[in-house]
Amino acid sequence: MTSRLRARRRVLLVVTALAFIAVLAHLGLLDAGQLAFGARNVAIFTRDLFPPDPTVIGRVGIAILETIEIAFAGTLLGCVAALPLAIASSEVAAGPGSARVMRAVLAFIRTIPALLWAVVFVVAVGLGAAAGTLGVAVYSAGYLGKLYADAMDGVDPEVIEAVRATGASRVQVARLAIIPETMHALLTQLLFVFEYNVRASSILGFVGAGGIGFYLLGYLQSLQYDRLMTAVLATFVAVMLIDALSARLYRWLTDA
Amino acid sequence: MDAGTPTIEARGLGITFRGRDVLVDVDLQARAGEIVMIAGRSGGGKTTLLRAIKGILQPQRGHLSVLGAPPRVDGRADPRIGFIPQQLGLVRAETVLANTLTGACSRTGLLRSLLGRFAPEEYERAHAILDQLGIGEYAQLPVRMLSGGQRQRVAIARSLMQQPSILLADEFVSQLDLVTAREILEVTRAIARRGVTVLMTTHEVEMAREFADRIVMLQDGRVAVDAPATDVDVARIREVLR
Repeated sequence: MTSRLRARRRVLLVVTALAFIAVLAHLGLLDAGQLAFGARNVAIFTRDLFPPDPTVIGRVGIAILETIEIAFAGTLLGCVAALPLAIASSEVAAGPGSARVMRAVLAFIRTIPALLWAVVFVVAVGLGAAAGTLGVAVYSAGYLGKLYADAMDGVDPEVIEAVRATGASRVQVARLAIIPETMHALLTQLLFVFEYNVRASSILGFVGAGGIGFYLLGYLQSLQYDRLMTAVLATFVAVMLIDALSARLYRWLTDA
Repeated sequence: MDAGTPTIEARGLGITFRGRDVLVDVDLQARAGEIVMIAGRSGGGKTTLLRAIKGILQPQRGHLSVLGAPPRVDGRADPRIGFIPQQLGLVRAETVLANTLTGACSRTGLLRSLLGRFAPEEYERAHAILDQLGIGEYAQLPVRMLSGGQRQRVAIARSLMQQPSILLADEFVSQLDLVTAREILEVTRAIARRGVTVLMTTHEVEMAREFADRIVMLQDGRVAVDAPATDVDVARIREVLR
């Protein structure tokens, strides 16, 4: 390494450290009084979380089931929408012109988080799980659309050229060559997004879009921390189970 | 198509790519039922010539007529011209049958294509072709599980499903062992006997002499030799390939 490169790295390190300290101060994280006050509150909060209140497990269980339903239906609806969007966004499938425009559309969809899409659908279809499902579906379409388009652009161009040479249309090439060639990636990314959506769906209730989030926010705002702890633990168990199931499915798919 | 009918005619064909002349003033004629081997060193313009005939590339100079008209460059490709690229371009996750049926795309409607359900007569045709090529028993196997020679036959089957008048094959047997290569070339000879024009690129001169009706040697994008296979001067070919 040259001495000039070493000097540049040293300068970068010092500038980064100074910027970090300045940002912490601006955020109030160097204020000793505020930190001490916060620590006292955390201690009280932690004490009140235990023991968890088991009397709410029934309604919490139903809400978690609804959360998983929202994630499941939202992911699948998003996948159905993502496939044509991905084909239109793939350079090899639809050409560079379509790919540029459609990738911008997908980027816009992803810019807005699922929670905000849920707010939009609460306005459109009213409070409840339907709004949450549609919110998750739109966000998933944007996210999966991008992942799928990237996978499709990785298909061997010779395969596409050979199938196109038979006289196949673009849609036929997509259906008979591109989708089969990327099927493995499409399925594993679908599982990944489903896992992500189970977590994302757990806060949709904050905006009235169904699921466990409604209880999480309600118990938090009414200071029922023991009930909050029950809801959090139940959510944690559900997420772990979904992760384990997903991992098993992934292995099953990749071993085949 | 009746044997002897002209199918491909190129006069003064020229293609320049990134400032380099890949094909220069190429004249070529091929007839129905004829096997023409396009030989030459790597980078000599063989693949470019096939791609121009298929309509994948647009020649910048000269005249090119394929089956009586300039090749279709925009829109859907002409299914009467079968094209097998060097790496075959098979969908490896799909079965032998599914790959073969792809050759029927131009006769299949959008809904059937989307559902992956071809007409019953297409299934019959595909099975008959696979049986003819000796791979009928592998119809339901994924292509990735086949040997090189078997994959080659699947690529031929897909092209035959197109019911082609011309079959273009790029470096078709170069990656096969000698025995398998000869078997595949025998299959190709049988296809030509049905009146299909076969154009293949190769750098296997001995095999080209044995199986081709005519050999066209390309050197730096120009035709260096164009003669019946039996008349070709081996010393001259070796000189071109050196």
